[in-house]
Amino acid sequence: MADVTYREALRQALDEELDRDPDVFLMGEEIGRFEGSYKVTAGLWAKYGAERVRETPISEEGFVGAGIGAAMMGLRPVIEIMTINFILVAMDQVVNHAAKIRYMFGGKVGVPLVIRTPGGAGAQLTAQHSQSLEAWFAGCPGLKVVAPATPADAYGMLKTAIRDDDPVLFCENLVLYNLTGPLPEDGDGAIPIGRAAIPREGTDLTLVAHSYTVQRALRVADRLSQDGISVEVVDLRSLRPLDVDTVAESVRKTNRVLVAEEGWSTYGVGAELAARLQRVCFDDLDAPVERVGQAEVPMPYAKPLELAALPLESKIEAAARSLLAECGL
Amino acid sequence: MSEELTMPRLSDTMEQGTIGRWLKREGESFHEGDVIAEIETDKATMDFQAYEDGTMLRILVADGESAPLGAPIAIIGAEGEEVPDDAPAAASANGDGGAEKPAGEGEAAEPEPQTEEQAPVATATEAAPSNGAPADGGGLRASPIARRMADAGGLDLRTLAGKGTGPDGRIVKADVERALASGANAGPAAPGTPQPPGEGDEVRELTPMLKAVARRMAESKASVPHFYVSSEIDMTRALELRAELNEALADSGEKVSVNDLIVRACAQALLQHPQAHRSYVDGHHVYHAHANIGIAVALDDGLIVPVLRDADSKGVRQLAVEIRDLVTRARDGKLRQSEIEGGTFTVSNMGMFDVAAFSAIINPPESTILAVSSTVERAVVRDGAVVPREIMSVTLSCDHRACSGADGARLLQTVKRHLEAPTLLLA
Repeated sequence: MADVTYREALRQALDEELDRDPDVFLMGEEIGRFEGSYKVTAGLWAKYGAERVRETPISEEGFVGAGIGAAMMGLRPVIEIMTINFILVAMDQVVNHAAKIRYMFGGKVGVPLVIRTPGGAGAQLTAQHSQSLEAWFAGCPGLKVVAPATPADAYGMLKTAIRDDDPVLFCENLVLYNLTGPLPEDGDGAIPIGRAAIPREGTDLTLVAHSYTVQRALRVADRLSQDGISVEVVDLRSLRPLDVDTVAESVRKTNRVLVAEEGWSTYGVGAELAARLQRVCFDDLDAPVERVGQAEVPMPYAKPLELAALPLESKIEAAARSLLAECGL
Repeated sequence: MSEELTMPRLSDTMEQGTIGRWLKREGESFHEGDVIAEIETDKATMDFQAYEDGTMLRILVADGESAPLGAPIAIIGAEGEEVPDDAPAAASANGDGGAEKPAGEGEAAEPEPQTEEQAPVATATEAAPSNGAPADGGGLRASPIARRMADAGGLDLRTLAGKGTGPDGRIVKADVERALASGANAGPAAPGTPQPPGEGDEVRELTPMLKAVARRMAESKASVPHFYVSSEIDMTRALELRAELNEALADSGEKVSVNDLIVRACAQALLQHPQAHRSYVDGHHVYHAHANIGIAVALDDGLIVPVLRDADSKGVRQLAVEIRDLVTRARDGKLRQSEIEGGTFTVSNMGMFDVAAFSAIINPPESTILAVSSTVERAVVRDGAVVPREIMSVTLSCDHRACSGADGARLLQTVKRHLEAPTLLLA
């Protein structure tokens, strides 16, 4: 099968799930006739009609709430929030309702809801439209939070998310939409939530990332390999549940670990991993856990400042080299 | 105003202290000069006196627990005063009694500074041989994997001290790999290689005293160049003198021991041989004006050396009385700090254990120590005839930086002469 884009992989997964299960329906702003701001729902309104590909007003709190209600009644809504920045106005629905209803109703009512939403930065969309907030949600019990980095994972994990009986926040990334890669040639392709992947093996350093930062990490690993440094890249794929076992196994091999993420480091994914790893891998570490994230500022507009704030490959590479230098490599 | 009491410095070598027990409980008041706690240092149990009148508001370090010098151990103030919210919480969770009193709002996360302070102090005192994580404190920085690999490879990380290539000289994995590859771990296991306890074995913490003994003896044997001079002393006449003295003193209740006579002989000899009565300190010789003689006293599980000051100026009777008092209080743990420091020479007498010979480790900065073995009746030749005599074997350990072999031999010769012609002891 020819390579497809991440965007197309998502579209195919939605198409196949809409086709497979009549309870699945889509909801979001401009996802119908306009086919979505990022064209992820291209062709689906035409194919499944306005009943199952529902357009909404600009009212995130309202349509996330409607999705929760529909999910409680047995449907499987897949909601698109145009970017993760706009989920903030629906925070109460996500955190206080979707995440808690199963617990507060004695386990008798679940919310089989998927919220798809892209984060990311780099297009001078400035402070309010350049955020990667997934770590906030990954700290919330009751939610599953995934952030695939490849077309195959996006395809397989979206299917699994739709079939999950509890709410899943499905984090995409604006820069990833045009990334191409293969999809599985046969079978359903569903990929379980909660398992990290190792797209590149190595022995000197474990570089952990999720979403678009995985692609950056792979390029950093390429560059370092030219200097004889062998980097193992771990793609978390899922932030909650977090597959610490896979990361720990890698760290036991390399003894060094750097966590890179597009969001802010403070209280971020790297912070969580550092806490977990110092417990399970204490005696395996040759240096403190290191992390790289966005500069601790709201994203600036000016291009040079935006570049300075982003966790670019050059920063990840510099952090990796510095960590390895501490270890005599 | 409430104030903190901190762990006082009660001896020169003390780095932490253990609360033997509190004599004032929370809520009790006391006057200036009252003993409010007994504190065990590395050497002795000392009374901790109040500097001023006050009331015990909160005990921070419970009976039996330790704290580094300067760490808060209690809060005192006026009767009925509330302990301020920002006061330190109890240092340890496993204390009993008052130390369990919960800290004020917002303090729960505060004990770290104390534990952080404690760890390096405890470890700097006891340079533990293991490569285990905190045991070598500030002196040895190594990454966890470096420690683990060194342990597994039988490599004593201390051999890499100062050679680490990580930040601030941290020993990292690569350093250990190089050391292991170069065979630094070859040969017999390093002295510090830890052995896992066997089945049924019990691992116990050392008391402060045993830690101090372990540290000081290891330092001495590792850094002081010891040599040994042995001799046999005919104690027949000394024993006769002792019997005579004790008979004469019977009514007074005083008693003179063989050891008292040996101490007297040593005190006299030391003054005659200044080259065997000096200490090597930082490239200098310190000549001692007075013979302050330490008497090694074995405890149930421990060792302490009370010091008899100015032994050279004291007669046998006075020596006997003072030594008996020191030894009794040593066994009761009631020595004052001033009574266990300042020695210039030590006598270690194991005569009561039926030992033929042994040698002792010097107690720095002293430069000599006399090991005294049992006195036994033996057949010896005197004036061409075989006669029974009471023979005692002694070995003098000397610091070669302070005295030569001849200096040591001369000192021993004089001790021998005084004990074999014991009227000299009375001179």
